[in-house]
Order: sequence, then C-alpha cells, then structure tokens
Amino acid sequence: MSVSTLQTSLVDRAAVEPSRPARPRSTRKGIRYAITVLAFLLPSAVPLLLFVLIPMVSAAWISLTDWNLISPQVFVGFDNFVQLLSEPRTAAVFGNTLYYILGYLPIVYLGGLALALALNQALKGRALWRSIYFLPVVTSWIAVAVVWRWLLNPSNGVVNIALGWFGIDGPGWWTDPAWSMPSVILASAWKDLGFVMVILLAGLQAINADLYDAAKVDGAGPWARFINVTLPMLSPSTFFVIVISLINGFQVFDQVYAMTGGGPAGSSQVVVQQIYDLTFRYGQAGEASALSWMLFAVILAVTVVQIIGQKRWVHYG
Amino acid sequence: MADRQLTVSRPTRSSAPALGSIVLHAVVILGALAMLFPFFWTFITSISPGAGFSIEPRLWPENPSFEAYATLFTERPFARVVGNSLLLAVITTVVQLFTSATAAYAFSRLPFRGRGVVFAVYLATMMIPLQVLIVPLFVQVKNLGLINTYLGALLPTFASAFGICLLRQAINQVPRELDEAATLDGAGHGRIFWQIIVPNIRPALATLTIFAFMGSWNSFLWPLIVLRSPELQTLPIALAGLQGQYTTAWDVVMAGSVVSVLPILAIYLFAQKYVIQGVASSGIK
Amino acid sequence: MKRSLLAATGLAAVAALVLAGCSTEPAPEGDITITYSNFISNGGNEENLATIVEAFEAENPGVTVDVTTLPYADYFTALQTDLAAGTLSDVVDTNYDFFPQLAAAGALAPIEVSNAGAYRESLIDAYSVDGVSYGLPSSFSTVVLYYNADLFDQAGLEYPTADWTWADEQAAAEAITALGDGIWGSHQPVSFYEYYKVLEQNGESFLNADGTAVAFNTPGGIEAAEWLVNKSGTVMPTIEQGQGTPDFDTNLFVEGKLGMLHTGIWVFGAVADVPFAWDIAVEPGNTQQASAVFSNAVGVSANSEHVEAATAFAEFLTSSQTMVDVRLDAGWELPPISDEEQLAVYLTKDKPANRQAVFDSLDGIALTPIVATGQQEMQDIINEELIEAQAGRKSVADALASAEERINAVIGG
Repeated sequence: MSVSTLQTSLVDRAAVEPSRPARPRSTRKGIRYAITVLAFLLPSAVPLLLFVLIPMVSAAWISLTDWNLISPQVFVGFDNFVQLLSEPRTAAVFGNTLYYILGYLPIVYLGGLALALALNQALKGRALWRSIYFLPVVTSWIAVAVVWRWLLNPSNGVVNIALGWFGIDGPGWWTDPAWSMPSVILASAWKDLGFVMVILLAGLQAINADLYDAAKVDGAGPWARFINVTLPMLSPSTFFVIVISLINGFQVFDQVYAMTGGGPAGSSQVVVQQIYDLTFRYGQAGEASALSWMLFAVILAVTVVQIIGQKRWVHYG
Repeated sequence: MADRQLTVSRPTRSSAPALGSIVLHAVVILGALAMLFPFFWTFITSISPGAGFSIEPRLWPENPSFEAYATLFTERPFARVVGNSLLLAVITTVVQLFTSATAAYAFSRLPFRGRGVVFAVYLATMMIPLQVLIVPLFVQVKNLGLINTYLGALLPTFASAFGICLLRQAINQVPRELDEAATLDGAGHGRIFWQIIVPNIRPALATLTIFAFMGSWNSFLWPLIVLRSPELQTLPIALAGLQGQYTTAWDVVMAGSVVSVLPILAIYLFAQKYVIQGVASSGIK
Repeated sequence: MKRSLLAATGLAAVAALVLAGCSTEPAPEGDITITYSNFISNGGNEENLATIVEAFEAENPGVTVDVTTLPYADYFTALQTDLAAGTLSDVVDTNYDFFPQLAAAGALAPIEVSNAGAYRESLIDAYSVDGVSYGLPSSFSTVVLYYNADLFDQAGLEYPTADWTWADEQAAAEAITALGDGIWGSHQPVSFYEYYKVLEQNGESFLNADGTAVAFNTPGGIEAAEWLVNKSGTVMPTIEQGQGTPDFDTNLFVEGKLGMLHTGIWVFGAVADVPFAWDIAVEPGNTQQASAVFSNAVGVSANSEHVEAATAFAEFLTSSQTMVDVRLDAGWELPPISDEEQLAVYLTKDKPANRQAVFDSLDGIALTPIVATGQQEMQDIINEELIEAQAGRKSVADALASAEERINAVIGG
C-alpha cells in the first residue's frame, strides 16, 4: 500500500463510500453516532480552531487596518489590498516565488524519482544510501544556510573551485542577482530530494509485483514496463508530492531568509520574506496580512486546480 | 530480512546487466558523497578553532580541535536545551499521531453532512504562512495564560493538516471488508480504529513520526516567541543564540548543528526500519 | 499493549510539562519579581549579566529579577510581538535605532534619573526626548582603525595616527596591497553604518536638518560613497571573493592578510592572540574626524506594575560599580559612565596599546540618522543601492540618485 497519497483523500466521496456501513437512522442512534464522530474529530478540531482558524480571523481583521504592532490599529478598509496591487514589488515577489517553484519542483521530482528507482534496486548497503540521501531533510536551515553560503562563494567556495577543475568558470551565485535564486534552488533541492525520494519509494513498494510479471509475459521491456506500469501506478504519490511541494513552495522562507535575505537587489525576495519584513522590520503589519491573504488565495486556487485536474492523469490503484 | 523479501520480487534487478549495476552503484555513491559534503564541511568547520569564511578553504584544518563541542556542553546549556527539545518533540509527535489518526479515521470512515467542507477547512490551514499568524497566535496563547509554558509552545502543534492528509490516504487504502467483518463481530468504531486501522497503517504512522518529530525539533519562530525562561529554551534558539550582535564563533555554531542532527537521525533510522517492515508484512494489497 | 504504553508515556510527559510550566512559584508576600528581556548578554556574557543581577538582588532584598536572553537577530521580532500583545517585560533592552519607535509609541515609562551625572552626557542625552529620559544607556562601543604593524613595517610605512586623513589611508592601503601574496590594504564594510559616518567625515550628512528627506545626493556625498565603494577590488577583496560574509574581515585580519581594518572595539578579544604586532588608531576623516558610536540602552515598560523596582534595576544595570567592574574585567563593551578615572584601568588592561584612541574617537561622533517612520526600510534601501554600486551594476551616482528617490518615498509618507 502507498504510504502517502492525497489522491483518494480528495476524490469525490461517492467513489469511496458505497461500501460504508449504512448511516444510523433513529434519533438515539443518531445522537450516539454524532458523539462518535465528535470524539474522533475534536482532538484535532480544537487545536486547529483555537490556534490556526481564530488567529486566521484575527489576521483577516489586521489586513483591514494600518498597524505597526506598537501603536493602536487604525481601520482602513481595503486600502492595504489596493496599495499592494499598485506596487510593482508585489508582482516582483510573486514572480520570484514562481521562479523558485518552477526551478525547484522539476529538480526535486525528477531527482527524487531517479533516486527512488535506484534505491529500490538490490544495491549493496541500500539502507545506508537511503539514510544518507534523507539526512539533509532532517537538518535545520539555521545551521545549513551558512555552510551553503560558504560552499557557493563565488571565488573561493568549494563549488566553484570544483567547477574550475573542469574548466568551468563558476557564476557569482548569491552575490549576483541573476544567480541568487538558482543558489537558493540548489540548496533547497539538496535538502528536499530525500523527502521526495521517501514518498516515491513508499509508492514504488506498494506496486503489486504481479503487474510487472504480467507485463513481462506480454513481452514488455524495462522501458515499456516503466512507462506502462511504474509511472501510472506511481501517479497518486506523484500527485501528493506535487500538491505538498506547491503548498510549501509558495511559502518558501527559511532558506531565503538565512541564505540571501532576499537580495541582492531584491532578486530573491519571495512572498513570505516580504510578509516577514513588512511585519517585523517595516512596521506594516496590515499590509503584511493583506499580502498573506493574497498568497492564501493563490495557493487555494492552485490546489483546487490540481484536484480538478488530477482526474485526467492520476490512476487509482 | 523483510528487506530481502521485498527485493526478491523486484523484476528490474534480474534484467539489469552487471555493467549497469556497476554504473548504478557508482552514481548512487557519487551522489551520496555530494549529499554528504555540506555535512563534512560543517564538521570540518566545527573542529577548526577560530574558523569562519576563509579566503583559502582547507579540506582539513591545520589544528583540529574538539574544544567547540566542549564549549557547547560546558559553557553553554546544550545538554538542557537538547533535553527540552527532545521533550517537546516527543510530546508533539505522540499527540500528533493520535489527533491525525482519529481525524483521518473520521474523514475516511465516518460520513456526516458537511464532511467535505470540514475537510476543506482543515486543508486550508496549511495554506497560510505562520509568519502572519504569529502575532494573533501569541495574543491567543496569552489570553489562555500560557506564555512561557511548555503547554503554550505545544498546543498549536497538536494538530497537523499534513498528518491528517497522510493518514487519511493510508486509511482509505485499508480494505473496508476488514471493518465490516469486525462490525459483524459487534465491534464499535473505537475497536475498529484501534484493532483494525491502526495496525494496518503502521508505515504511514512511522512516516508521520519522522515528519512530526522533525517539525518540532527544527521549529524556530514560535518557540522563540513563546518560551522566555532560559531553562525552557529549545535547541534552534540556542543555535541562533550562538551568533552574537557583533561577532560569532563559527566553530561552536557548526558543532551545535552537528549535535542538532544526531537525535533526529536516530529517529529516522528507527522509523525507516519500521516503514519497510510495515510495507512488507502488512499483507494488504 | 503498545498503545497503553504510548498512552502512559504521553500522560507522564504531559504531567511533566505541566509541572515544568508551572515552576514559577507564587512569591512570598511583599516580595516582587521583575522581568528583564535582553540581548546584550547573548553570545557569551550570560554569566557576566548574572553576576550583576545577583549583586542587585543582594542589595535589594525582596526583589527578584527574571532574565530572558534572546539572540540579537531575533530580539526585536520578539519585542514587537510583546508590544502587540501587551506583554512587555518590566525592563527591556533596545539599541539606538529602535529606541525612537519605542518612545514614540508610549511604550516606555519616563525615568527619573537619580544620578544623571554618572553617565557620559552624550549617551544619556541620546535616550531622552524633550529633556525627559526614557532609557538609560547600558554600554557603548566605538569603531576604530585596526592595523597590522608588521605589514606596515614590511611596506616601509609609518603607523596610522589620529591626524591621518583618507589620503593617508589610501596611500598606505595601496602600498600594502602591492606587497602581493593575497595581502590586502584596507577593509571597510559597504553599508549604511559606514556610509553615514563617512558622510560626516566628508562634512556632509545623511538626512536634512529636520529628518524629512535625505541629503546625501551631493558631490560630497558621492565622493563619500566612492571612498567606500572603490576600496572593493583595489585595496579590499570584492563581494565575489567573500567580502561581506559574516566575520570575513576579522578573519582576514587575524590571518595576517589585511593591513587595516575598520571595525568596532568588540573584536579586541578575537584579535588579541594573533602572531603579529597590531594596534589601533582613530579612524581617518577627510574634512573632519567622525567616528561611529554604537550604544545599547534599557527602558522601563510604561505598563510595568513595579516601575520603581524596575527603574532601580535599570539604574543598577547601567551605572553601578558592580556593572563597571564586571564590564571592564570581561572586556564586555564599555560602561556608559562619565568617570574617566574608573575607565583608566581600561587603558592599560591589555592589547591594543593605544586604547586611548577609543576615547579620542569620541571627540567627533557620527550619530546614526534616525527617521520617524521607515527606519529599517531606509537602511535596507541604502545598503542595497551601495552594494549595487560596489558590484559594478550601477554607477555610484545612479545608485545614490535611486536611493534618494526610494528613501524619500518611504520616510516622507
């Protein structure tokens, strides 16, 4: 079975439910059933309500005010949203975030897939290799970002020294506006490759071996088996990876904050970095809140589009 | 042994020629070395007294010394902050496993009116950045009188939409015939949950264990804001605290990062075994 | 059985945390506890602060001080959250840049200073508004010119003196860079904190008189920016070579590859044991001498329930004999006191020999320009534009023109 796929969680319930036990009808049974449902939901519903949803409502209120966190809040209606839409830097931070996602997602997905396929083979010391590839996932950006800055230093960083051995003149990495985002993407890919690998490995192991045998009987070669069996059977895991990576990718912050701080010249300023700066550095918590809601709307839209679109390509094993 | 069972049935292996196998090994090993290099660099820096960004990087320090590690545990309260972080991470993980599994069960097995909407709201909680919630969240925790308590640091981590998605999917894949058989035996939802569902989603629980532990272990902004007493502080704050207003001892910072990775690596190695065992032995396909 | 084990562990853990969370026992009657949030002790001076706090508690029976120490980089994030939630500690740290925002928001209580004469006048004045103190300076540091005497000897140069000007530094830096072998002449950060100072050194200023617009886009201002920017790649490594990464400059100096270093007196400790001769001098000016002074201060929360005790602690922390002794002994920046005799011990303490330069640099002070709103954004913009110029992506004149336009838009509105 697949460890983690969002697919059926999001599929039309009708597909899942015909076989469920019939819903109790009588009132007393109904009340008992309601209590059962509540007993299962409340442990998660209470913390989410108190510590995410209520703060979200407060944040929505803040987005309608002018506030520097220190002085009293002043109600300004939708001024913050209007202001944001009129500022070129709003488009810039969304553009930078999109740049990050478009660079990051193909690398971690294809790299993670290749790794999962390789580490699903009978390799010597396979568990060790898996652990090594997973190691970066568990580290904290606070520690890792400094090391990456050193490694990616243009003239005496280890990466450019290594490139020099092959006669390649390494780029300016995070010192150069054209290369700051690729630097962040490179470090992020290093850190998240193992995450994608683990999810896809679990998906690979869930594929019924009989399917491969049947394909072989039909005369399918390794490549045909990969295309006709592995990829379709892996599609729920792929879907999960993409949904989660996009939700997280739009909220990329830690590595940017620690590696480039958004620079140079704002070239790696992403949406959440802008939200943080507006709140805690520029004294514009209202505008920061408004920007958060714009980000929320974008993530929501992208996720909904994926859920609708999945029916075209995700195969339910 | 579970490992071997799995690989025997992998069809790609037998068809791979010896040369392909050698190339594969070489690529995997080279990739692993590349993955490890930043850690190697971290370690090297941690044993180079007075280290920092150098104009001439060296692969091995001139005068290696482990004094940075001694500094961490003697001059700095690292033993205590590691203990604090462990406590918080263990509680978060245990509670999150419980709240995620129960919610996932409800979303998978207990139909009720408006369930789709409730689930959508759960999902939406993943889509707003923490940075903007920090101030309202802090006010909320203050109103509960929980500032500067572990409970205040913990409560917001007790439910995770990510974990619920993960487990709901796993539960959806447990055949409903198993529940129905149990229902015929007179089992209620509580018993089905504990005796049928939980044992059958162990791999997913193991995966969530890793992510929940990791999330708590590395979380920075919220513990920084809510925990004030030095005796309550956690590892990431102590790590950040090694960087001063004007100057920083980088060897000590890097020693701190080395120390911070070890416990979570242990958790991973433990859970990884579990993931594979679970997949191999669950017998439900 | 696994489940009950899990449940039991969970319960025990929850019980443990509840106990831990409630560890603050109710104080006996009459006793009070005041809270103090600080960043000044973070990064190695925690014990020194504890010594001062213990001395205060010994002198004030019945008063306990609860200390919270946060990393400097994140202190102001936490402080602003506290301000938003109304949970400010009784006594809080601030730096000079953030103080005006605290004072303007009414977050700080006015302080009746019982011994104003104990403080260095320029420092205590920096934390008062219309003659009323809202903060007490807790320490200060100055920026000086460090030099590697061995490299000066090697290049056959005279050592820097307080009379030096930019031209002298430039000539020496070029001569030392010419020694080759990866040796550089002079390092000075390209940033807001250097720029407003070199503007003063050139007789210019960052802001206009009433602080409503910038005043640096002048021929003299451009010359000052060029003084900073043009070091890069001539007598100082470029950004691509690592310039600007944390502690890069200090490491370069410690490795013996840097002739002159513009930095604060806080690196005395890091430089103390180098295997070459070194000393310090007052930073050269162009038309006049001007040195940067960085100070920190403490304020008392306007909402404190124990203003009296909090004020007493704030005074003890900033002017007591214990504080002076601890700071001088530990080399923990400089106490903000006016009594030169007490500071005499500092002059002879250790390397560098010319510690007098620390005090001489106070003769001409360049204060950080402060605006009513947009302080941090202003600093970010000028940093960004100067680095664009340093990296050669813009001319200095273009960068300053762009900075002028952007900053005026932020601080004017």
